[in-house]
Amino acid sequence: MNDETNKEFAALNLDREIKAPSHLKQRWHDSIDLAARQEVREQQQAARSFSVGSFFWGAAITAALAIGIAIGVFVTDKPELAEPDSYVVQDRSAAFDRVMQVHLRDTRNDIANLPIETAADRTTLVLQIIQQNRLFEQAAEHNDADNLARVLRAFEPILLQLAASDIAPEDAETLRDQLAFQLKVMLTKLERSTSKETTTT
Amino acid sequence: MVAVLNRQGPPTQAEFHEVISTRSDRWYSACLKITRNRDLAEDAVQDALLSAWNKRHQFDRSARLDTWIHRIAVNAALQLLRKSKPGVFEALDHDVEGPSPTPEQLRADEELGHNLARALHKLSEIERVCFVLKHLEQWRLKEIAAEIGSNTGTVKQAIFRAVKKLRVRMAALQREAL
Repeated sequence: MNDETNKEFAALNLDREIKAPSHLKQRWHDSIDLAARQEVREQQQAARSFSVGSFFWGAAITAALAIGIAIGVFVTDKPELAEPDSYVVQDRSAAFDRVMQVHLRDTRNDIANLPIETAADRTTLVLQIIQQNRLFEQAAEHNDADNLARVLRAFEPILLQLAASDIAPEDAETLRDQLAFQLKVMLTKLERSTSKETTTT
Repeated sequence: MVAVLNRQGPPTQAEFHEVISTRSDRWYSACLKITRNRDLAEDAVQDALLSAWNKRHQFDRSARLDTWIHRIAVNAALQLLRKSKPGVFEALDHDVEGPSPTPEQLRADEELGHNLARALHKLSEIERVCFVLKHLEQWRLKEIAAEIGSNTGTVKQAIFRAVKKLRVRMAALQREAL
């Protein structure tokens, strides 16, 4: 602000600097790391030949996600759960929960089979998981499953640490176990809520 | 410190991290004052960072990385504001006050602080944006006019009205202080 204006409006604190919340700063840091890793991955992918297996895997997940979103958008008769649960929101469809279960189960399997020793492969796979996780996080938000979206969002910092190329194998193993455990807990809660719903309907 | 080293080539990941740590409050402040909306301000900084990262090969080392990102963030904030409120920069022939604040604006006001928020609240969108760009961001009238798709006469008028309203607010503050 120029001196004259600054002096005239000093009491209004027009040039006051507002602190950005720390979680935002963390997100901005993460977004640069992620963009940098994506660049590396794209370069690696360009060097590799087309993989039929990964194409079908991606297509299957995308199709499942599309069905999940469509169900969330079009199904209006949303059954209510008998008892609230920390991960479960009452006004969403059981079909969406099932699609989410498939995603969590696949993610758990991928995490369990994650190569710990070879950093490049691990980074590539974890970045794929992060991308899928983000899509499902958006789908959860679409389906008013805010708690579920929040839990999926909470996975991302751990996944980003796991994707780091300079992480020690023992640390990667600890993170992998931690993620596998959290995924299992979440999956169990979702399965429990879906089965309760099936019994009550 | 990374920034003081005389580096060659595009800015590195470490340099981006350093400016995020040291300068992102300034970017966020500027975007919040322009948009009066925390989500838009957050998105503007995020968009600016990714855009700067993707275009880092175009960065001129004679400039400062943080001011380069700052400018991109302000542009992003203006773009997001225009997208969220089409016609927001249309000029008015008469003097109007800003509309009643939305819940999101009230939340943003909490961060802006009492005096600043109340001062900005009295301005219309075009007055606020023109005043912030001219007096806080040091943009030239011509640049502001080009950015909001108007002419310098309209920009001058918007700034004139903004200053007038801020003076009224100042007088009220002085009365409150007595």
